[in-house]
Amino acid sequence: MTEGTLATIGLAILQAAGMLALAPLLRGLIKKMKATLQTRQGPPLLQVYFDLAKLLRKESVRSETASWLYVAGPRMYFATAVAATTLVPVWMAAAPLEAAGGVLALVGILALGRFFLATAALDTGSPFGGMGASREMTIAALAEPALMLGLFTVALSAGSLNLGALVRGLLDRGATFHPSDILALAGLFIVVVAETGRVPVDNPATHLELTMIHEAMVLEYAGPDLALVEWASAVKELLYLTLLADLFAPIGIATAATPVLLLQAVPIWAAKIFLLAVAVTLVESTNAKLRLFRVPDLMAVSLGLGFLALAIRFL
Amino acid sequence: MDILFRREWWLPGAVAVYVITAAASLVFVRRPRLCGVVAFGGAIVGSAIVVAVAVSVLARGPIGGPLMTHAASGMAFGYLVTPLAAWFLLVLGLVAAPVALYSIGYLPHAIPAARTAAVGASFNVLLAAVAVVFAAADVITLLFAWEIMTLATAALVATEHEIRSTRRAAYLYLVMSHAGTGCLIAGFLVLASASGSWSFDVVLAGNVVSGRWRDVLFVLFFLGFGVKAGVIPLHVWLPEAHPAAPSSISALMSAVLIKAGIYGLFRVCAFGLGVPDVNWGLAVMAVGALSAILGVLYALAQSDLKRMLAYSTIENAGIILLGLGAGMTAAALGRRQLAAAGIAASLFHVLNHALFKGLLFLSAGGVVAATGTRHLEALGGLIRRMPWTALFFLVGALAVSGLPPLNGFASEWLTFQALLLGFASLPGVARMNFPLAGALLAMTSALVAACFVKAFGTAFLALPRSRAATGAHESLAVMLVPQGLLAALCIGVGLFPGVVLRSIDTVLVSLLGLRVPPGARQTALTLAPGPSGFDHVTPMVLALTLAAAAFAAALLAAARVAGRRVPTWGCGGVLGPGTEYTGTAFSKPLMMIFKTVLRPTREVEALADVSPYFPREVRYRTAIEPVFERYLYGPLTSGILGVADRLKVLQAGSLHAYLAYVLALGVGLLIWLGGKR
Repeated sequence: MTEGTLATIGLAILQAAGMLALAPLLRGLIKKMKATLQTRQGPPLLQVYFDLAKLLRKESVRSETASWLYVAGPRMYFATAVAATTLVPVWMAAAPLEAAGGVLALVGILALGRFFLATAALDTGSPFGGMGASREMTIAALAEPALMLGLFTVALSAGSLNLGALVRGLLDRGATFHPSDILALAGLFIVVVAETGRVPVDNPATHLELTMIHEAMVLEYAGPDLALVEWASAVKELLYLTLLADLFAPIGIATAATPVLLLQAVPIWAAKIFLLAVAVTLVESTNAKLRLFRVPDLMAVSLGLGFLALAIRFL
Repeated sequence: MDILFRREWWLPGAVAVYVITAAASLVFVRRPRLCGVVAFGGAIVGSAIVVAVAVSVLARGPIGGPLMTHAASGMAFGYLVTPLAAWFLLVLGLVAAPVALYSIGYLPHAIPAARTAAVGASFNVLLAAVAVVFAAADVITLLFAWEIMTLATAALVATEHEIRSTRRAAYLYLVMSHAGTGCLIAGFLVLASASGSWSFDVVLAGNVVSGRWRDVLFVLFFLGFGVKAGVIPLHVWLPEAHPAAPSSISALMSAVLIKAGIYGLFRVCAFGLGVPDVNWGLAVMAVGALSAILGVLYALAQSDLKRMLAYSTIENAGIILLGLGAGMTAAALGRRQLAAAGIAASLFHVLNHALFKGLLFLSAGGVVAATGTRHLEALGGLIRRMPWTALFFLVGALAVSGLPPLNGFASEWLTFQALLLGFASLPGVARMNFPLAGALLAMTSALVAACFVKAFGTAFLALPRSRAATGAHESLAVMLVPQGLLAALCIGVGLFPGVVLRSIDTVLVSLLGLRVPPGARQTALTLAPGPSGFDHVTPMVLALTLAAAAFAAALLAAARVAGRRVPTWGCGGVLGPGTEYTGTAFSKPLMMIFKTVLRPTREVEALADVSPYFPREVRYRTAIEPVFERYLYGPLTSGILGVADRLKVLQAGSLHAYLAYVLALGVGLLIWLGGKR
């Protein structure tokens, strides 16, 4: 194994570890901000960490009906979220495992995790699991084309589908603003809200049968299994927000692996994520959850925005 | 021994093995077990030779030779295995051998012993015919083999001919196929009379016809080959015929037979009529996108396992056509490297679909043999009773959903690349079609994932929903080994896509108007199409990363305290098979969302003795409207029957009338001939 390979692996592990460490903070932050908007005190900022630590220490309680797939589900879901972090440039203008693949690989990996979790949800025989899995796959199917179209628009203007090269392409292009960016950003923001299970598509705080989507799917999980699912969901959320930051405001990302640039890049990244978190909080606090059968309309809006962005960019 | 060293004898040898095996299986008609072993053992040998031919051609160049000569009439039939033909022969051999092995164990469970000989013989005749279709060097050989292929398939579909729906399926298949063959004969006659030759070298040189005639021929051939490829709206036979046949035959039909249609589209429509027209490419793309999205939506609506797989075949044919259409459009505009990317994606998906759909049909066959039903809602809990079958089906489901690091991902990834490269390098408004097709493809693969989560979850997970599912047993080893082989191929091709792509490059350079981009030399692990390395992917790295992360997750969540197994919480009630989420319920939201396309109907009937609030029995029936059958084929059929009915006046049974016709014809001919002179 050459030194370069080792360095790549080291970088990948570091970035994955960093994302894993910071993801629960984002969840805590959004919860805290939501509470503030509702003039509640809310749970402590670090509550998500405490919950994860507690869940990981607990015994695992599993259904008698479930097979090995039920155990594999959360592990694969977690693995896909972690693997996905290595494909995205976070603090440096290069993804650690850039050679492994670009946008399409990222979307594919996340779909793999979803496949496993949805399949595992059907394993206990509880109708909740089936309902959640069904709705999750439905929304994913509707969100996928909008996600792809949004990504294509940015990728084509930067000249690459590989996220590292894409970010570098955007940086090279300089701070030129194109009106299509607004449309593409709006379209992708809707997709991100849907994919991370936020209001108005899903409500992460509910356990009411009629409104649950993601929570229904993982309702049967407990203990360490649940910890993995929760943690992976948090990582996915941070990852999607990072992706938005990369695609629409790559400025400030470290273009070389020097300590100075990296020390600048981390706070700038944190500020971008904070702004996006504020946006997510505002959307979540000012909207009501949509009926399941109104969600397609929202996704159609997102798809339309993506297509318009593409059209005004290139026609 | 000399025969082994002469490559030109291999393909006729394989065909001879198939034909002799077919005859032998008829000899052993009274000893079904022996007959099965002989018939399918012979098929394995023949398929191995076919694979050898294909590999040899891809490595060392085309092989050709005579098949049959008739001295008196001067007719000579020959074969020529071009690299393109070799690619399809490879697909045929790779799938046919495991399917044959599987059949040895499967058929005794599936069909009456007395029919083993007929099925074995038809199976071998079919394989021989498909091999000759791929290798034919002239029109007559192709059409002859094409017809044998159709008839053998119809015989296989009608294996269980005491069932009414099976007879109907076989009949529908025959009618559709012959309508398609009619188009092919018409097209080839035009080409042959214009060029004065039967040989493909001349007929398909691309300069035989020009102008409007080229478009007419394209449409004729597209219809003719499209029927076999099962693309919408020519697909109506497919979801009837695939489930009606025994499962191993369904696997062969889906994996290999529809590829005969695809091969025709490649050979004639894309590369046989000269440089394709832009509109042809866009038309192929449109049909592909339509087939992909409608195929998967119809698949979602099914609760019959094999019917669902059949509709998924239509969807995959659509994906193949998307790549082909992108390639044809690029070729029409003279973008030879871009065209290569689309064609490569299409050819790659031909192989991948054969591998995973063959696997899925074989696993489904195991389920059908073990439970006696194809109805998803009667299955459940099979992962405990049939652990290997479940594992293999899961691999197939992941592959068909286009998830990394399996093979379906590699070819769908390439298709996306072809579409995006197409957008980036073509001028004008027409290029907006490419990202639109890309978005449809993204939606298709997400819907396929939903469809297969439903199928796998309903059939294999949770509690069994019927007595048949409760009593199911794992399949025999002879049925599991072929599934294992195909699953291993799905994983292997997924992890080493570069190896496959190198062989595809050999095919590409042999085709007219394509150029493999010089920058895109493949390593074994990486896919990197396109002129300037638009993107690349290394599934092996993804797989290793996933494995490492899954290992870390397992360590992280390793039990620190002994775990417990408890019954699933039932909100205070008792959960059982009756309270499980059904497959129909699973796909219900999507049915509702796409109700304008699917037009679902629903019928609920509650039977009550005392009060309507306490129903004794609730009957629920749901169906989707067969749009194409009702609105396209319905009027067509009734129109043809109506015309036939009117023409009955002419055939009134009166001798005088017939004599009058003869007289009228004679006079008419005389006048016409006199006018010509």
